[in-house]
Amino acid sequence: MQIEIQGRRTHRKRRTDEGIALLISIFVLLLISVVAIALVVSSGTESALAGNYRSSTGVYYAALSGLEEARGRLLAKNPDSFTTTAPGFLPSPGTTLAIGSVAYVLNPGPTEVAANILTTYPDTEYDNEFGGGSLAGATVTTTNSVWNQTPLNGLNIPGPLYKWARINAVSEKSLNIDVDADGNPDSITPLYYDGAHFSNNPAVGPQVLEITSLAALPNGSQKLLQYLAAPVPITLPPFLGALTLSGSPANGAAFHAPASNSLYAIKGNDQDCNGSLTGLNYLAVGVFTNADKNAVINGIPPPVRASYTGFNSAPDVANITPAFPASLETPSQLDALAQTIAQSADVTIPSGPITYPLPTVTGSALTPLGMSSTNLLTVVVNGNLDISNWSNDGYGLLLVIGKFTYDPDTTWNGIILVIGQGQVDGSHAQFKEINGAMLVAKTRNSAGNLLPGSNLGGASVQFSDSMQGYGVRYSNCWIQKSQPSSNFKILSFHEISQ
Amino acid sequence: MSPASRNAPQFGFTLIELITALGIFLLVCAAAFTLLASSQQRYQTESQVLNSFQEARLALDQIVRDVNDAGYPPPTYAGTDPTKFASTPFAWSPNYTVPTTCTIDGSCITPGDFDIIIETNPTPQDPTSQVQWIRYQLQGTTLMRGAALKQPGNDPAIDTAAFLAPLVQNVVNNSSAAQIAQYQAAYPGMFPTGNPVPIFSYSCDTGNVPLACTAAGIDNSPANIRDVVVTLIVATALPDATTGEPRIVQLVGRGRRINPNQ
Repeated sequence: MQIEIQGRRTHRKRRTDEGIALLISIFVLLLISVVAIALVVSSGTESALAGNYRSSTGVYYAALSGLEEARGRLLAKNPDSFTTTAPGFLPSPGTTLAIGSVAYVLNPGPTEVAANILTTYPDTEYDNEFGGGSLAGATVTTTNSVWNQTPLNGLNIPGPLYKWARINAVSEKSLNIDVDADGNPDSITPLYYDGAHFSNNPAVGPQVLEITSLAALPNGSQKLLQYLAAPVPITLPPFLGALTLSGSPANGAAFHAPASNSLYAIKGNDQDCNGSLTGLNYLAVGVFTNADKNAVINGIPPPVRASYTGFNSAPDVANITPAFPASLETPSQLDALAQTIAQSADVTIPSGPITYPLPTVTGSALTPLGMSSTNLLTVVVNGNLDISNWSNDGYGLLLVIGKFTYDPDTTWNGIILVIGQGQVDGSHAQFKEINGAMLVAKTRNSAGNLLPGSNLGGASVQFSDSMQGYGVRYSNCWIQKSQPSSNFKILSFHEISQ
Repeated sequence: MSPASRNAPQFGFTLIELITALGIFLLVCAAAFTLLASSQQRYQTESQVLNSFQEARLALDQIVRDVNDAGYPPPTYAGTDPTKFASTPFAWSPNYTVPTTCTIDGSCITPGDFDIIIETNPTPQDPTSQVQWIRYQLQGTTLMRGAALKQPGNDPAIDTAAFLAPLVQNVVNNSSAAQIAQYQAAYPGMFPTGNPVPIFSYSCDTGNVPLACTAAGIDNSPANIRDVVVTLIVATALPDATTGEPRIVQLVGRGRRINPNQ
């Protein structure tokens, strides 16, 4: 039997290679391959869909980062502002950027060259807005993005993938918007923003700037986004006197100067930033009622009343109601102004929401801010501020919503607003002064509730008899230097379809 | 038959060999076709899931893009012709008069959980273009989209209703309690509260921080909407061919209106 089988096998092998095992194998392999390919194809489609979504979202935020960088660096107070890091890139703040002047922030990737960015990723949108050939005839300035400057370029982290952000002026014609309602969007003069609407008139307010950003991902996704933005300055009340005290017939102001310090005085004679008189004279002390005028004069020791000089004869204390804006003469209006300032403050101490009873902050909290004559800050204290024994100098705008305890071992150059509790005191030694102007207004009660009605609360400035210091000197120079930063407000945003 | 052929060896297969071979062949074929059939079922189901996913993804992208652009151009551009600027980023109904008179999840019929009207000009570079009302509304299980030209004095809900066309099919956000229970059995993480899931949920500007509009108090108004979170839950047209259970996909996106409040 064994021999027979062996013999047959030998014989079959010799005669032919017929058989179907191979065919079956191939057939089965084919089936398995079809299934496998189907699975691979299906999962491949899924990956592609997820990838599309990721890139469309990623490229949107990359373009947005370009818009935000340009908007942020337009702000003069930004340490990376164009004014500081790229002189000549844009006209100095307040000067109109002409139609036909185009400024690009370039953000080349690690393998790209800044000079080639606008060739690799050409800006076709400008000509769409301003007409064919406009970009070729434009005056173009460029600067690198913060991601291509020290210190960020030394870090081994990838920056956002926007390629360029363009800053330019706009006109009725470029926006295709009939700003002056003459029935035709025809004007080619730059547009300005009056706080509510656009205008062709440069006198109404700051210029409207257009920021356009192009982002491109390595996979080819591109997105073009556009802002219109304009600086919105914060309008401070006019500083008619070196010291302004709020009050109303129902709520009188209180003032008490140091009786034992004959050198203390509040003077409205304007000084420049070096302390030299300019010859211009403002009020020494401004109040809101005639009763307060008498109250303040009574708070000044008779021997030194002659030192309170300014616009009128000494002691120069006057009712400023006729000249003070009526729009700021109620608690809610003044308080709203304080909140506006707080929103654009450089520093807010303590951070977080305002809590009553108010916390007390000491001068040591101001030390790390590094204020100097070239680093004027807008500092908001959401509480009481006690700078006793601080022995440092302050520069800029100080807004205290609680009680302000002054110590004459500090010189403050700039503006001091005490709006809220409207209370100032002090008792310490040393002879320094406040250069600029000071406004004290009571708008809230001790529980933090806004005073009802239109009657301002009575401000209280009461120093101990023994307090030293020279007092307050009006200085328009320091007031101007301390104006709070304006924000570049986003006036509009849209995506440009490509 | 010649002697030679009679004496020649018989080289054919035996019946047993043939039956064995045929049996093995049939077994292999049966296994292969079973695999093929189940693969085809799986492929069909996954294709449906992918189709639903793709349809929902495209819709989500479009909704988010429209929300991002809501309110363009703002009234600062020109204050005279209301068809040329967006009075508010999001329109509402009833009583579409500025300032707003309705509250979200309150007296507003739209915007609501399954209905939103965006006011924007999607093609501002076109000199003849006007601001449009772009509406997304869930009708049954179909998310509709429609755009109508803004007409001052008209009700945007009525104007857009005539233009609504299907955008996404089989949207199951607003399913019945029984269906939700069925979905939860297959997908325990979905429909966490056991209630319908809003397609549109809103946060409103409240001065300092955006809050959920329902918690925003006096700021709860369509004019204050800042963020719109879009949650789309779509089901396949047919249940899973192998398990018989429903197949659903949930997509979430967020649109942020950047244009200013009016």
